[in-house]
Amino acid sequence: MTLNSTRYILRETIHSMKRNPWLSIASVLTVMVSLVILGFSVFFLVNASNMAKSFEDQLEIAAFVEESTTKSELQALQTHIKGMPGVASVTIVTKEQVLTDFGKTMGGTENNILADLGGKNPFSDELTIKATDAQNVIALADAVDALPEVYKVRYGQGFVDKLLVFTQWLRWIGLGVVAAFAIAAVVLISINVKMNVFSRRREIQIMKLVGASNSFVRWPFLIEGLALGFVGGALAAVIVGMGYNWIAMNVQSTLTFLPIVQNVTLFQQVLVGLLLTGMGMGALGSGISLQKFLKT
Amino acid sequence: MIQLKNVSKIYPNGAKALIDVNLTIGKGDFVFLVGPSGAGKSTLIKLFYRDEIPTRGQVHINSKNLIRMKEREVPYLRRTIGVIFQDFKLLPNKTVLENVAFALEVIGVSRKEIQLRTRATLELVGLANKEKSYPHELSGGEQQRVCVARAIINNPALLVADEPTGNLDPETAWGIMDLLYNINKRGTTVVMATHARAIVNKMQKRVIAIENGRVARDEIKGGYGYDA
Ligand SMILES: Nc1ncnc2c1ncn2[C@@H]1O[C@H](COP(=O)(O)OP(=O)(O)OP(=O)(O)O)[C@@H](O)[C@H]1O
Ligand SMILES: [Mg+2]
Repeated sequence: MTLNSTRYILRETIHSMKRNPWLSIASVLTVMVSLVILGFSVFFLVNASNMAKSFEDQLEIAAFVEESTTKSELQALQTHIKGMPGVASVTIVTKEQVLTDFGKTMGGTENNILADLGGKNPFSDELTIKATDAQNVIALADAVDALPEVYKVRYGQGFVDKLLVFTQWLRWIGLGVVAAFAIAAVVLISINVKMNVFSRRREIQIMKLVGASNSFVRWPFLIEGLALGFVGGALAAVIVGMGYNWIAMNVQSTLTFLPIVQNVTLFQQVLVGLLLTGMGMGALGSGISLQKFLKT
Repeated sequence: MIQLKNVSKIYPNGAKALIDVNLTIGKGDFVFLVGPSGAGKSTLIKLFYRDEIPTRGQVHINSKNLIRMKEREVPYLRRTIGVIFQDFKLLPNKTVLENVAFALEVIGVSRKEIQLRTRATLELVGLANKEKSYPHELSGGEQQRVCVARAIINNPALLVADEPTGNLDPETAWGIMDLLYNINKRGTTVVMATHARAIVNKMQKRVIAIENGRVARDEIKGGYGYDA
Protein backbone atom coordinates (compact mmCIF):
# COMPACT_ATOMS: atom_id res chain seq x y z
CA MET A 1 0.00 0.00 0.00
CA THR A 2 1.80 3.08 -1.28
CA LEU A 3 1.14 6.70 -0.40
CA ASN A 4 -0.42 7.18 -3.83
CA SER A 5 -2.91 4.41 -3.25
CA THR A 6 -3.70 5.83 0.18
CA ARG A 7 -4.63 9.16 -1.31
CA TYR A 8 -6.82 7.42 -3.85
CA ILE A 9 -8.53 5.39 -1.14
CA LEU A 10 -9.32 8.42 1.03
CA ARG A 11 -10.83 10.25 -1.92
CA GLU A 12 -13.00 7.25 -2.76
CA THR A 13 -14.10 6.82 0.84
CA ILE A 14 -15.41 10.35 1.09
CA HIS A 15 -17.13 9.98 -2.28
CA SER A 16 -19.01 6.87 -1.24
CA MET A 17 -20.03 8.22 2.17
CA LYS A 18 -21.69 11.13 0.43
CA ARG A 19 -23.64 8.76 -1.76
CA ASN A 20 -25.84 7.40 1.07
CA PRO A 21 -25.83 10.16 3.68
CA TRP A 22 -28.88 8.90 5.62
CA LEU A 23 -27.68 5.37 5.85
CA SER A 24 -24.29 6.66 6.93
CA ILE A 25 -25.88 8.76 9.64
CA ALA A 26 -28.03 5.85 10.82
CA SER A 27 -24.97 3.62 11.00
CA VAL A 28 -23.01 6.19 12.95
CA LEU A 29 -25.89 6.72 15.37
CA THR A 30 -26.42 3.03 16.10
CA VAL A 31 -22.73 2.58 16.73
CA MET A 32 -22.87 5.61 18.99
CA VAL A 33 -25.92 4.48 20.97
CA SER A 34 -24.57 0.99 21.53
CA LEU A 35 -21.23 2.36 22.68
CA VAL A 36 -22.78 5.02 24.91
CA ILE A 37 -24.73 2.28 26.69
CA LEU A 38 -21.61 0.14 26.84
CA GLY A 39 -19.56 3.02 28.23
CA PHE A 40 -22.04 3.96 30.93
CA SER A 41 -22.56 0.31 31.85
CA VAL A 42 -18.83 -0.13 32.31
CA PHE A 43 -18.60 2.94 34.53
CA PHE A 44 -21.69 1.94 36.48
CA LEU A 45 -20.34 -1.54 37.11
CA VAL A 46 -16.94 -0.21 38.11
CA ASN A 47 -18.62 2.07 40.62
CA ALA A 48 -21.00 -0.58 41.89
CA SER A 49 -18.24 -3.07 42.58
CA ASN A 50 -16.12 -0.31 44.07
CA MET A 51 -19.01 0.58 46.34
CA ALA A 52 -19.54 -3.04 47.32
CA LYS A 53 -15.86 -3.30 48.08
CA SER A 54 -15.81 -0.19 50.20
CA PHE A 55 -18.84 -1.34 52.16
CA GLU A 56 -17.18 -4.66 52.70
CA ASP A 57 -14.15 -2.87 54.05
CA GLN A 58 -16.33 -0.92 56.41
CA LEU A 59 -18.16 -3.99 57.52
CA GLU A 60 -17.58 -4.38 61.24
CA ILE A 61 -19.16 -6.20 64.13
CA ALA A 62 -20.50 -4.26 67.05
CA ALA A 63 -20.49 -6.42 70.19
CA PHE A 64 -22.57 -5.06 73.09
CA VAL A 65 -21.21 -6.04 76.47
CA GLU A 66 -23.25 -6.97 79.58
CA GLU A 67 -23.77 -4.07 81.94
CA SER A 68 -22.10 -5.83 84.83
CA THR A 69 -18.77 -6.00 83.02
CA THR A 70 -16.00 -3.92 84.58
CA LYS A 71 -13.44 -1.89 82.65
CA SER A 72 -10.66 -4.37 83.32
CA GLU A 73 -12.88 -7.27 82.26
CA LEU A 74 -13.61 -5.27 79.14
CA GLN A 75 -9.89 -5.01 78.37
CA ALA A 76 -9.40 -8.71 78.98
CA LEU A 77 -12.29 -9.39 76.62
CA GLN A 78 -10.63 -7.18 73.97
CA THR A 79 -7.38 -9.15 74.26
CA HIS A 80 -9.29 -12.44 74.12
CA ILE A 81 -11.19 -11.50 70.95
CA LYS A 82 -8.01 -10.17 69.34
CA GLY A 83 -6.60 -13.66 69.75
CA MET A 84 -9.51 -15.28 67.89
CA PRO A 85 -8.86 -16.40 64.28
CA GLY A 86 -9.84 -13.98 61.49
CA VAL A 87 -9.86 -10.86 63.62
CA ALA A 88 -8.12 -7.80 62.24
CA SER A 89 -8.68 -5.32 65.06
CA VAL A 90 -10.73 -4.77 68.16
CA THR A 91 -11.41 -1.33 69.60
CA ILE A 92 -13.24 -0.45 72.79
CA VAL A 93 -16.05 2.09 72.70
CA THR A 94 -17.08 2.89 76.28
CA LYS A 95 -20.66 3.79 77.06
CA GLU A 96 -19.49 7.29 77.94
CA GLN A 97 -18.10 7.65 74.41
CA VAL A 98 -21.30 6.30 72.93
CA LEU A 99 -23.25 8.83 74.92
CA THR A 100 -20.98 11.68 73.81
CA ASP A 101 -21.30 10.63 70.16
CA PHE A 102 -25.04 10.33 70.56
CA GLY A 103 -25.15 13.76 72.16
CA LYS A 104 -23.20 15.26 69.30
CA THR A 105 -25.62 13.90 66.76
CA MET A 106 -28.49 15.33 68.80
CA GLY A 107 -26.72 18.69 69.02
CA GLY A 108 -26.43 18.91 72.83
CA THR A 109 -23.74 18.47 75.45
CA GLU A 110 -23.08 15.32 77.40
CA ASN A 111 -24.51 16.66 80.65
CA ASN A 112 -27.84 17.94 79.44
CA ILE A 113 -28.34 14.82 77.36
CA LEU A 114 -27.71 12.80 80.48
CA ALA A 115 -30.19 15.00 82.29
CA ASP A 116 -32.73 14.50 79.53
CA LEU A 117 -32.31 10.76 79.86
CA GLY A 118 -33.04 10.89 83.57
CA GLY A 119 -29.43 10.89 84.78
CA LYS A 120 -28.75 7.35 83.72
CA ASN A 121 -26.59 6.32 80.72
CA PRO A 122 -28.78 3.87 78.78
CA PHE A 123 -25.93 2.60 76.62
CA SER A 124 -23.60 -0.29 77.23
CA ASP A 125 -19.93 -0.66 76.48
CA GLU A 126 -19.17 -1.85 72.97
CA LEU A 127 -16.39 -3.57 71.11
CA THR A 128 -15.89 -2.75 67.45
CA ILE A 129 -14.42 -5.78 65.68
CA LYS A 130 -13.05 -5.82 62.15
CA ALA A 131 -12.66 -9.11 60.36
CA THR A 132 -9.69 -9.81 58.10
CA ASP A 133 -12.12 -11.02 55.45
CA ALA A 134 -15.72 -10.06 54.82
CA GLN A 135 -16.53 -13.76 54.30
CA ASN A 136 -15.69 -14.49 57.93
CA VAL A 137 -18.01 -11.90 59.38
CA ILE A 138 -20.95 -14.21 60.08
CA ALA A 139 -18.88 -16.96 61.71
CA LEU A 140 -16.94 -14.44 63.71
CA ALA A 141 -20.07 -12.66 64.87
CA ASP A 142 -21.55 -15.98 66.05
CA ALA A 143 -18.37 -16.82 67.93
CA VAL A 144 -18.33 -13.42 69.63
CA ASP A 145 -22.02 -13.71 70.45
CA ALA A 146 -21.33 -16.98 72.23
CA LEU A 147 -19.02 -15.27 74.73
CA PRO A 148 -20.74 -14.87 78.14
CA GLU A 149 -19.84 -11.16 78.50
CA VAL A 150 -21.47 -10.29 75.18
CA TYR A 151 -25.22 -10.00 75.16
CA LYS A 152 -25.77 -8.92 71.56
CA VAL A 153 -23.90 -8.51 68.29
CA ARG A 154 -24.86 -6.50 65.24
CA TYR A 155 -23.36 -6.48 61.77
CA GLY A 156 -24.39 -5.19 58.35
CA GLN A 157 -24.52 -8.55 56.62
CA GLY A 158 -27.22 -8.87 53.98
CA PHE A 159 -26.82 -5.46 52.43
CA VAL A 160 -23.53 -6.36 50.80
CA ASP A 161 -24.92 -9.61 49.46
CA LYS A 162 -27.84 -7.79 47.90
CA LEU A 163 -25.56 -5.22 46.29
CA LEU A 164 -23.43 -7.95 44.76
CA VAL A 165 -26.45 -9.81 43.39
CA PHE A 166 -27.76 -6.55 42.00
CA THR A 167 -24.53 -5.73 40.17
CA GLN A 168 -24.43 -9.26 38.81
CA TRP A 169 -27.89 -8.83 37.34
CA LEU A 170 -26.99 -5.44 36.01
CA ARG A 171 -23.95 -6.90 34.31
CA TRP A 172 -26.09 -9.42 32.39
CA ILE A 173 -28.77 -6.93 31.43
CA GLY A 174 -26.14 -4.40 30.35
CA LEU A 175 -24.38 -7.05 28.33
CA GLY A 176 -27.63 -8.05 26.60
CA VAL A 177 -28.58 -4.50 25.69
CA VAL A 178 -25.08 -3.69 24.46
CA ALA A 179 -24.96 -6.88 22.39
CA ALA A 180 -28.32 -6.12 20.77
CA PHE A 181 -27.26 -2.63 19.79
CA ALA A 182 -23.83 -3.79 18.66
CA ILE A 183 -25.38 -6.37 16.34
CA ALA A 184 -27.75 -3.74 14.96
CA ALA A 185 -24.83 -1.41 14.34
CA VAL A 186 -22.78 -4.06 12.55
CA VAL A 187 -25.76 -5.02 10.40
CA LEU A 188 -26.44 -1.39 9.47
CA ILE A 189 -22.82 -0.78 8.53
CA SER A 190 -22.80 -3.94 6.49
CA ILE A 191 -25.98 -2.85 4.66
CA ASN A 192 -24.42 0.54 4.09
CA VAL A 193 -21.30 -0.92 2.56
CA LYS A 194 -23.28 -3.51 0.60
CA MET A 195 -25.44 -0.81 -0.96
CA ASN A 196 -22.39 1.16 -1.94
CA VAL A 197 -20.77 -1.87 -3.49
CA PHE A 198 -24.01 -2.63 -5.33
CA SER A 199 -24.51 0.88 -6.66
CA ARG A 200 -20.94 0.81 -7.90
CA ARG A 201 -20.79 -2.71 -9.25
CA ARG A 202 -20.28 -1.51 -12.82
CA GLU A 203 -17.47 0.73 -11.75
CA ILE A 204 -15.92 -2.11 -9.78
CA GLN A 205 -16.17 -4.36 -12.82
CA ILE A 206 -14.38 -1.76 -14.95
CA MET A 207 -11.68 -1.26 -12.33
CA LYS A 208 -11.01 -4.96 -12.24
CA LEU A 209 -10.88 -5.20 -16.04
CA VAL A 210 -8.21 -2.53 -16.03
CA GLY A 211 -6.14 -4.58 -13.59
CA ALA A 212 -7.22 -3.46 -10.12
CA SER A 213 -6.72 -6.17 -7.53
CA ASN A 214 -9.51 -7.19 -5.19
CA SER A 215 -7.83 -5.52 -2.25
CA PHE A 216 -7.42 -2.27 -4.20
CA VAL A 217 -11.14 -2.21 -4.91
CA ARG A 218 -11.96 -3.36 -1.41
CA TRP A 219 -9.95 -0.83 0.58
CA PRO A 220 -12.22 2.20 0.11
CA PHE A 221 -15.22 0.19 1.29
CA LEU A 222 -13.35 -1.21 4.25
CA ILE A 223 -12.09 2.25 5.19
CA GLU A 224 -15.63 3.52 4.85
CA GLY A 225 -16.88 0.97 7.39
CA LEU A 226 -13.97 1.81 9.67
CA ALA A 227 -14.69 5.52 9.35
CA LEU A 228 -18.37 5.05 10.20
CA GLY A 229 -17.40 3.01 13.25
CA PHE A 230 -14.74 5.54 14.21
CA VAL A 231 -17.11 8.50 14.08
CA GLY A 232 -19.73 6.58 16.09
CA GLY A 233 -17.10 5.53 18.62
CA ALA A 234 -15.70 9.06 18.90
CA LEU A 235 -19.15 10.55 19.50
CA ALA A 236 -19.85 7.88 22.12
CA ALA A 237 -16.52 8.59 23.84
CA VAL A 238 -17.32 12.30 24.01
CA ILE A 239 -20.84 11.71 25.34
CA VAL A 240 -19.77 9.13 27.90
CA GLY A 241 -16.74 11.18 28.94
CA MET A 242 -18.65 14.41 29.46
CA GLY A 243 -21.70 12.64 30.86
CA TYR A 244 -19.68 10.75 33.44
CA ASN A 245 -17.89 13.87 34.60
CA TRP A 246 -21.18 15.67 34.93
CA ILE A 247 -22.79 12.85 36.90
CA ALA A 248 -19.73 12.44 39.10
CA MET A 249 -19.72 16.16 39.89
CA ASN A 250 -23.40 16.23 40.79
CA VAL A 251 -23.34 13.04 42.82
CA GLN A 252 -20.35 14.23 44.75
CA SER A 253 -21.90 17.55 45.66
CA THR A 254 -25.25 16.08 46.74
CA LEU A 255 -24.61 12.49 47.87
CA THR A 256 -21.21 13.05 49.43
CA PHE A 257 -21.07 9.66 51.07
CA LEU A 258 -21.12 7.79 47.73
CA PRO A 259 -17.61 6.89 46.63
CA ILE A 260 -17.40 7.81 42.92
CA VAL A 261 -14.46 6.31 41.04
CA GLN A 262 -12.30 9.08 39.60
CA ASN A 263 -9.50 7.12 38.05
CA VAL A 264 -7.99 9.05 35.12
CA THR A 265 -6.18 6.05 33.62
CA LEU A 266 -9.30 3.90 33.76
CA PHE A 267 -11.29 6.78 32.30
CA GLN A 268 -8.94 7.12 29.34
CA GLN A 269 -8.82 3.37 28.83
CA VAL A 270 -12.60 3.12 28.65
CA LEU A 271 -12.88 6.00 26.16
CA VAL A 272 -10.12 4.64 23.93
CA GLY A 273 -11.77 1.24 24.25
CA LEU A 274 -15.05 2.69 22.97
CA LEU A 275 -13.27 4.22 19.98
CA LEU A 276 -11.53 0.97 19.12
CA THR A 277 -14.72 -1.04 19.59
CA GLY A 278 -16.48 1.35 17.19
CA MET A 279 -13.79 0.81 14.58
CA GLY A 280 -13.95 -2.92 15.16
CA MET A 281 -17.69 -2.89 14.56
CA GLY A 282 -17.13 -0.91 11.36
CA ALA A 283 -14.48 -3.30 10.10
CA LEU A 284 -16.67 -6.28 10.93
CA GLY A 285 -19.67 -4.73 9.15
CA SER A 286 -17.83 -3.98 5.93
CA GLY A 287 -15.91 -7.25 6.13
CA ILE A 288 -19.18 -9.17 6.17
CA SER A 289 -20.42 -7.45 3.00
CA LEU A 290 -17.15 -7.55 1.13
CA GLN A 291 -16.58 -11.21 1.71
CA LYS A 292 -19.34 -12.21 -0.68
CA PHE A 293 -18.69 -9.50 -3.27
CA LEU A 294 -15.83 -8.84 -5.58
CA LYS A 295 -15.39 -12.27 -7.03
CA THR A 296 -14.27 -11.82 -10.64
CA MET B 1 2.07 -14.84 -27.29
CA ILE B 2 -1.50 -16.10 -27.73
CA GLN B 3 -2.39 -19.73 -28.11
CA LEU B 4 -5.90 -21.19 -28.31
CA LYS B 5 -6.47 -24.94 -28.52
CA ASN B 6 -9.87 -26.42 -29.36
CA VAL B 7 -11.60 -23.52 -27.71
CA SER B 8 -15.40 -23.47 -27.50
CA LYS B 9 -17.49 -20.93 -25.69
CA ILE B 10 -21.14 -21.51 -24.96
CA TYR B 11 -22.84 -18.77 -22.96
CA PRO B 12 -25.15 -19.76 -20.11
CA ASN B 13 -28.16 -18.92 -22.27
CA GLY B 14 -26.99 -21.53 -24.79
CA ALA B 15 -25.55 -19.17 -27.41
CA LYS B 16 -22.62 -20.89 -29.13
CA ALA B 17 -20.24 -17.96 -29.57
CA LEU B 18 -17.08 -19.95 -30.41
CA ILE B 19 -16.74 -23.48 -31.75
CA ASP B 20 -13.47 -25.41 -31.70
CA VAL B 21 -11.15 -22.49 -32.39
CA ASN B 22 -7.41 -23.12 -32.87
CA LEU B 23 -5.21 -20.08 -33.11
CA THR B 24 -1.62 -18.97 -32.60
CA ILE B 25 -0.57 -15.32 -32.59
CA GLY B 26 3.13 -14.56 -32.24
CA LYS B 27 4.85 -11.86 -30.24
CA GLY B 28 4.90 -8.56 -32.13
CA ASP B 29 2.19 -9.62 -34.56
CA PHE B 30 -0.49 -7.27 -35.86
CA VAL B 31 -3.75 -9.14 -36.44
CA PHE B 32 -7.17 -8.04 -37.72
CA LEU B 33 -10.25 -9.97 -36.61
CA VAL B 34 -13.04 -9.60 -39.14
CA GLY B 35 -16.42 -11.19 -39.61
CA PRO B 36 -20.10 -10.39 -39.48
CA SER B 37 -21.81 -9.01 -36.44
CA GLY B 38 -22.42 -11.72 -33.87
CA ALA B 39 -19.70 -13.96 -35.32
CA GLY B 40 -17.80 -14.19 -32.04
CA LYS B 41 -15.01 -11.60 -32.36
CA SER B 42 -15.65 -9.88 -29.04
CA THR B 43 -16.03 -13.22 -27.29
CA LEU B 44 -12.67 -14.30 -28.65
CA ILE B 45 -11.02 -11.10 -27.46
CA LYS B 46 -12.55 -11.42 -23.98
CA LEU B 47 -10.81 -14.77 -23.56
CA PHE B 48 -7.42 -13.02 -23.79
CA TYR B 49 -7.82 -10.93 -20.66
CA ARG B 50 -9.90 -13.59 -18.91
CA ASP B 51 -13.15 -11.67 -18.92
CA GLU B 52 -14.65 -14.91 -20.19
CA ILE B 53 -13.44 -18.45 -19.59
CA PRO B 54 -13.95 -20.99 -22.41
CA THR B 55 -16.37 -23.82 -21.94
CA ARG B 56 -13.82 -26.19 -23.48
CA GLY B 57 -10.22 -25.94 -24.63
CA GLN B 58 -7.06 -24.20 -23.53
CA VAL B 59 -5.99 -20.56 -23.62
CA HIS B 60 -2.36 -19.52 -23.10
CA ILE B 61 -1.24 -15.90 -22.98
CA ASN B 62 2.51 -15.38 -22.71
CA SER B 63 2.69 -19.11 -21.91
CA LYS B 64 0.42 -18.63 -18.91
CA ASN B 65 -2.50 -21.01 -18.69
CA LEU B 66 -5.58 -18.84 -18.19
CA ILE B 67 -7.83 -21.78 -17.34
CA ARG B 68 -5.72 -22.82 -14.39
CA MET B 69 -4.85 -19.27 -13.38
CA LYS B 70 -5.75 -18.38 -9.78
CA GLU B 71 -8.19 -15.57 -9.15
CA ARG B 72 -5.60 -13.39 -7.47
CA GLU B 73 -3.23 -13.65 -10.45
CA VAL B 74 -5.80 -12.22 -12.86
CA PRO B 75 -5.10 -8.52 -12.05
CA TYR B 76 -1.42 -9.05 -12.93
CA LEU B 77 -2.37 -10.62 -16.26
CA ARG B 78 -4.62 -7.68 -17.04
CA ARG B 79 -1.91 -5.15 -16.25
CA THR B 80 0.15 -6.56 -19.12
CA ILE B 81 -2.76 -6.24 -21.55
CA GLY B 82 -4.19 -2.97 -22.84
CA VAL B 83 -7.85 -3.25 -23.82
CA ILE B 84 -9.81 -0.89 -26.04
CA PHE B 85 -13.37 -1.94 -25.20
CA GLN B 86 -16.14 -1.92 -27.75
CA ASP B 87 -18.28 -0.03 -25.20
CA PHE B 88 -15.35 2.04 -23.82
CA LYS B 89 -15.97 1.19 -20.14
CA LEU B 90 -14.97 4.57 -18.77
CA LEU B 91 -15.50 5.37 -15.08
CA PRO B 92 -18.41 7.84 -15.07
CA ASN B 93 -17.42 9.73 -11.92
CA LYS B 94 -13.86 10.37 -13.02
CA THR B 95 -12.51 13.00 -15.37
CA VAL B 96 -10.71 12.10 -18.59
CA LEU B 97 -7.40 12.61 -16.81
CA GLU B 98 -8.41 10.43 -13.86
CA ASN B 99 -9.75 7.70 -16.14
CA VAL B 100 -6.50 7.42 -18.01
CA ALA B 101 -4.47 7.77 -14.80
CA PHE B 102 -6.44 4.93 -13.24
CA ALA B 103 -4.48 2.28 -15.16
CA LEU B 104 -1.36 3.62 -13.44
CA GLU B 105 -3.00 4.12 -10.06
CA VAL B 106 -3.84 0.45 -9.72
CA ILE B 107 -0.16 -0.43 -10.00
CA GLY B 108 0.91 2.28 -7.54
CA VAL B 109 2.91 4.60 -9.83
CA SER B 110 3.95 7.88 -8.18
CA ARG B 111 1.70 10.89 -8.51
CA LYS B 112 4.27 12.88 -10.40
CA GLU B 113 4.89 10.16 -12.95
CA ILE B 114 1.15 9.62 -13.37
CA GLN B 115 0.69 13.31 -14.19
CA LEU B 116 3.49 13.30 -16.73
CA ARG B 117 2.59 10.10 -18.50
CA THR B 118 -1.15 10.81 -18.52
CA ARG B 119 -0.67 14.25 -20.10
CA ALA B 120 1.69 12.84 -22.71
CA THR B 121 -0.72 10.04 -23.61
CA LEU B 122 -3.71 12.38 -23.87
CA GLU B 123 -1.62 14.53 -26.17
CA LEU B 124 -0.98 11.45 -28.29
CA VAL B 125 -4.72 10.75 -28.79
CA GLY B 126 -5.48 14.45 -29.32
CA LEU B 127 -7.45 15.05 -26.12
CA ALA B 128 -5.07 17.30 -24.18
CA ASN B 129 -7.71 20.02 -24.02
CA LYS B 130 -10.37 17.69 -22.54
CA GLU B 131 -8.55 16.36 -19.52
CA LYS B 132 -10.96 17.95 -17.02
CA SER B 133 -14.12 16.78 -18.79
CA TYR B 134 -16.25 13.87 -17.59
CA PRO B 135 -17.10 11.00 -19.97
CA HIS B 136 -20.73 12.11 -20.37
CA GLU B 137 -19.49 15.48 -21.61
CA LEU B 138 -17.62 13.88 -24.51
CA SER B 139 -18.66 12.71 -27.97
CA GLY B 140 -18.55 8.98 -28.73
CA GLY B 141 -15.31 9.36 -30.65
CA GLU B 142 -13.71 11.31 -27.83
CA GLN B 143 -14.73 8.68 -25.29
CA GLN B 144 -13.23 6.05 -27.54
CA ARG B 145 -9.94 7.90 -27.63
CA VAL B 146 -9.91 8.14 -23.81
CA CYS B 147 -10.26 4.39 -23.81
CA VAL B 148 -7.38 4.11 -26.28
CA ALA B 149 -5.22 6.32 -24.07
CA ARG B 150 -5.96 4.19 -21.01
CA ALA B 151 -5.16 1.01 -22.95
CA ILE B 152 -1.76 2.13 -24.21
CA ILE B 153 -0.46 4.14 -21.24
CA ASN B 154 1.12 1.08 -19.59
CA ASN B 155 3.11 0.03 -22.67
CA PRO B 156 1.30 -3.31 -22.58
CA ALA B 157 2.83 -6.43 -24.12
CA LEU B 158 -0.51 -7.12 -25.76
CA LEU B 159 -3.01 -4.59 -27.02
CA VAL B 160 -6.49 -5.85 -27.87
CA ALA B 161 -8.83 -3.45 -29.60
CA ASP B 162 -12.51 -4.13 -30.19
CA GLU B 163 -13.53 -1.82 -33.01
CA PRO B 164 -11.32 1.05 -31.87
CA THR B 165 -12.33 3.18 -34.83
CA GLY B 166 -16.03 2.40 -34.77
CA ASN B 167 -17.17 5.88 -33.79
CA LEU B 168 -14.50 7.94 -35.52
CA ASP B 169 -14.46 10.00 -38.69
CA PRO B 170 -11.97 8.62 -41.26
CA GLU B 171 -9.30 11.15 -40.41
CA THR B 172 -9.36 10.51 -36.63
CA ALA B 173 -9.64 6.80 -37.35
CA TRP B 174 -6.42 6.91 -39.33
CA GLY B 175 -4.84 8.85 -36.47
CA ILE B 176 -5.68 5.99 -34.11
CA MET B 177 -4.40 3.44 -36.63
CA ASP B 178 -1.15 5.37 -36.80
CA LEU B 179 -0.93 5.09 -33.04
CA LEU B 180 -1.57 1.33 -33.08
CA TYR B 181 0.91 0.91 -35.92
CA ASN B 182 3.65 2.70 -33.95
CA ILE B 183 2.89 0.81 -30.76
CA ASN B 184 3.16 -2.40 -32.74
CA LYS B 185 6.51 -1.21 -34.17
CA ARG B 186 7.80 -0.88 -30.62
CA GLY B 187 7.09 -4.57 -30.05
CA THR B 188 3.54 -4.69 -28.70
CA THR B 189 1.33 -7.44 -30.10
CA VAL B 190 -1.89 -5.93 -31.49
CA VAL B 191 -5.16 -7.76 -32.05
CA MET B 192 -7.93 -5.61 -33.50
CA ALA B 193 -11.52 -6.59 -34.23
CA THR B 194 -12.99 -4.33 -36.89
CA HIS B 195 -15.55 -3.76 -39.60
CA ALA B 196 -13.42 -1.04 -41.23
CA ARG B 197 -12.80 -2.45 -44.70
CA ALA B 198 -10.59 0.41 -45.90
CA ILE B 199 -8.26 0.14 -42.95
CA VAL B 200 -7.85 -3.63 -43.24
CA ASN B 201 -7.23 -3.47 -46.96
CA LYS B 202 -4.71 -0.66 -46.68
CA MET B 203 -2.65 -2.03 -43.77
CA GLN B 204 -1.93 -5.43 -45.35
CA LYS B 205 -1.62 -7.31 -42.07
CA ARG B 206 -2.65 -10.78 -41.01
CA VAL B 207 -6.43 -11.19 -41.18
CA ILE B 208 -8.43 -13.80 -39.28
CA ALA B 209 -12.09 -14.09 -40.27
CA ILE B 210 -14.57 -15.49 -37.78
CA GLU B 211 -17.93 -16.77 -38.96
CA ASN B 212 -20.52 -18.43 -36.77
CA GLY B 213 -17.94 -18.94 -34.08
CA ARG B 214 -15.39 -20.69 -36.29
CA VAL B 215 -12.17 -19.53 -37.93
CA ALA B 216 -13.20 -19.21 -41.57
CA ARG B 217 -10.03 -17.72 -42.99
CA ASP B 218 -6.51 -16.89 -41.80
CA GLU B 219 -4.28 -14.95 -44.23
CA ILE B 220 -0.82 -13.53 -43.60
CA LYS B 221 -1.33 -10.38 -45.68
CA GLY B 222 -5.04 -10.34 -46.09
CA GLY B 223 -7.83 -8.02 -47.06
CA TYR B 224 -11.23 -7.44 -45.48
CA GLY B 225 -12.73 -9.94 -47.84
CA TYR B 226 -16.44 -9.28 -47.51
CA ASP B 227 -18.00 -7.55 -50.46
CA ALA B 228 -19.92 -4.39 -49.86
N1 LIG C 1 -22.83 -12.24 -22.38
C1 LIG C 1 -23.46 -12.95 -23.33
N2 LIG C 1 -24.43 -13.81 -22.99
C2 LIG C 1 -25.05 -14.54 -23.91
N3 LIG C 1 -24.76 -14.51 -25.22
C3 LIG C 1 -23.80 -13.67 -25.63
C4 LIG C 1 -23.11 -12.85 -24.70
N4 LIG C 1 -22.19 -12.12 -25.38
C5 LIG C 1 -22.33 -12.47 -26.68
N5 LIG C 1 -23.28 -13.39 -26.84
C6 LIG C 1 -23.68 -14.04 -28.08
O1 LIG C 1 -22.51 -14.63 -28.62
C7 LIG C 1 -22.43 -14.44 -30.02
C8 LIG C 1 -21.12 -13.72 -30.39
O2 LIG C 1 -21.12 -12.40 -29.88
P1 LIG C 1 -19.90 -11.44 -30.02
O3 LIG C 1 -20.18 -10.26 -29.18
O4 LIG C 1 -18.67 -12.19 -29.75
O5 LIG C 1 -19.97 -11.05 -31.56
P2 LIG C 1 -19.08 -10.02 -32.37
O6 LIG C 1 -18.42 -10.80 -33.44
O7 LIG C 1 -18.21 -9.27 -31.47
O8 LIG C 1 -20.17 -9.06 -33.00
P3 LIG C 1 -20.04 -7.48 -33.33
O9 LIG C 1 -19.29 -7.38 -34.59
O10 LIG C 1 -21.47 -7.07 -33.48
O11 LIG C 1 -19.39 -6.84 -32.18
C9 LIG C 1 -23.67 -13.62 -30.40
O12 LIG C 1 -24.64 -14.51 -30.88
C10 LIG C 1 -24.15 -13.03 -29.09
O13 LIG C 1 -25.54 -12.91 -29.08
MG1 LIG D 1 -18.05 -7.32 -30.87
